[in-house]
Amino acid sequence: MNRATLTLLALLLICALSLVAAQQRARKLFLAQEQAQIEERKLNQEWLRLEYEQRNLSKSARIRDVARNQLHMSPISPERTLYLREVK
Amino acid sequence: MRPVGFSTSPNLVLRLPMWRSRLMLFLLFFVFMLLLIRAFWIQGPGNAFYEAKGIRGTQRELELPASRGKILDRNGQVIATSLEAKSVIAYNDTIPDDLSAEKVKSLANLLQISESELRKKLKEERKQIFLKRQVDPAVAQQIKQLEIPGIGLNNEYRRFYPEGEAMAHVVGFTNVNDKGQEGMELSREKELAGHPGQRRVVVDRLGRVVEEMAILQLPQNGKDLNLSIDSKIQFLAYNAVKNAVEQHHAKAGGAVVLDTQTGEILALANYPSYNPNDRKYLTGEQLRNRVLTDTFEPGSTMKPFTVSLALEKGQVQPNTQMVIGAKYLIGPKPITDTHPYGVLTVAQIIQKSSNIGTAKLAMNTSPQEMWELYTAAGFGQVPKIGFPGAVSGTLHPYKKWVPSDQARIAFGYGISASLFQVARAYTIFARDGELVPLTIERSPEIKAGTPVISAKTAIEMRSMLETVTEPGGTAIKAQAEGFRVGGKTGTAHKLVGKGYGNKYRAYFAGLAPISAPRIVVAVMIDEPTGGSHYGGDVAAPVFSTIVSETLHTLNVLPDSKVKQMVLQDKTPEEVRTANVQTQHVVLKR
Repeated sequence: MNRATLTLLALLLICALSLVAAQQRARKLFLAQEQAQIEERKLNQEWLRLEYEQRNLSKSARIRDVARNQLHMSPISPERTLYLREVK
Repeated sequence: MRPVGFSTSPNLVLRLPMWRSRLMLFLLFFVFMLLLIRAFWIQGPGNAFYEAKGIRGTQRELELPASRGKILDRNGQVIATSLEAKSVIAYNDTIPDDLSAEKVKSLANLLQISESELRKKLKEERKQIFLKRQVDPAVAQQIKQLEIPGIGLNNEYRRFYPEGEAMAHVVGFTNVNDKGQEGMELSREKELAGHPGQRRVVVDRLGRVVEEMAILQLPQNGKDLNLSIDSKIQFLAYNAVKNAVEQHHAKAGGAVVLDTQTGEILALANYPSYNPNDRKYLTGEQLRNRVLTDTFEPGSTMKPFTVSLALEKGQVQPNTQMVIGAKYLIGPKPITDTHPYGVLTVAQIIQKSSNIGTAKLAMNTSPQEMWELYTAAGFGQVPKIGFPGAVSGTLHPYKKWVPSDQARIAFGYGISASLFQVARAYTIFARDGELVPLTIERSPEIKAGTPVISAKTAIEMRSMLETVTEPGGTAIKAQAEGFRVGGKTGTAHKLVGKGYGNKYRAYFAGLAPISAPRIVVAVMIDEPTGGSHYGGDVAAPVFSTIVSETLHTLNVLPDSKVKQMVLQDKTPEEVRTANVQTQHVVLKR
């Protein structure tokens, strides 16, 4: 066994170990990505749900009800409306 | 005795037959050969089986979920959306027989079914059974916490319709499998539907995904659909129809609002309606989109087309005087008016809705010309808006008309059309003689129409239609605050069996504002009872409400002569800083 062989053996060992380490890292990253994707889906669903909820709160029937009965508003009438024309 | 060496002991000299060692050698060799062949088999031809087994242990094919597209209104407001829901599945062979009564009871409670029903379901032969589909996420969580072996939860989507009843007939609904069943959900199923993808992954001992091998198919989410419907206008039209149906104890009602410039359908309201969010109501008559699928005799709403033809041919002018009389004898039954008139101008024939006058004008034109005009205005033709169940109505070929047919078709009997077709036909008066192509999808550019009558005739007809809503006309109740409106009433006897019974349909079809028509509105109230059944009393007020509220929503400048408007030209800066006590509406047109 001369020196060169020993160096190569050491190199081989280092490479082998780093391969294992790299694979481990890849798996970890992949898991993290999977987690993130699941999170993304969840957040997407959450966003859709919130959008729906917001829509539910702002639907015409509710707005009319709140405006009429709680805020005592009445529909606009042209008699007391000032129309402004935007000059482009 | 002479000693003998160990190696020369005669006792140890064994002479075994040669074949025994040969046999041993052969057997050993043979077994090794077998092993070798087996090894070759496993590595070579038989490999696929073992590979598959290995893969089954570590690789899985997972579904990549895809969601159904949303349906949005013209302002981007959600009118149909898919949210995740869970379905509860029982795997009956893994459910223990000694399941505690307490758990069964709480599960039954969560599923909102009786305990005995649940027990029956759990004893069924089938291995897998849906206990309930599309349960709320909160309920699903509670079911999970019960930790009953053999009860699983599956991901599903459930469709939600925030506008509920008001929009039901336009949007339609989907079934439990998220497939469109009615309305736009059905007609645009292809674009809306999502296609789930698939991927192959490597899992570890605990079933966690550790590596992705390949994406076998990319998931495709459904496309969002932008409708031309305005939820606000739809809602106010629905409410106006609903109130009228309730007030007049009618059977049903419908209304259409069209944008005359872009050809977009702004509202398509039907009453009675249903709540698409609740599955138990999704059957029966209420599902019918009457505006598009029901045909009726349009009655007097047909008269403007007949009169237009006479004007178009130059036979009469709006102020030409005509002798009307109390009866017009043609065919088996004389034609009469609700009030006898002596002499009327052509404009007054429209204003007072005289059957005799219209019939007399029609008899001066040929059946072919009438048929051609009606056909060009879309009668007897299916509206091409991609809506399921839209009908063509009937307009018999002119060769089959006898004179009394011609006279009656002139004022809307012996011809049938949907309310939608009537509204579409009225766009020719709103658009200076052009029939506008209609669309239910958002497309805000101004469309070119197909010319049907001349601009001159259309303008003359507009001012005649306006007189209908003025004193002396049949529909003063159609007047809308702030806007000049025009239209035509219709009160049609309903065909009952072979004859006309005592049931009516009341209509009003019209346009507004008269100075520059922006919308066409058609209203139908079916079988009004209790009080008046005339279009001018029943349908015209609905038209008025819809017109004034819609034009406000669209920020259209009032054009009424009666009310004094304050008009100022302002720059955008001034508009923003304007400090006025009254409400102000900025006009962008």
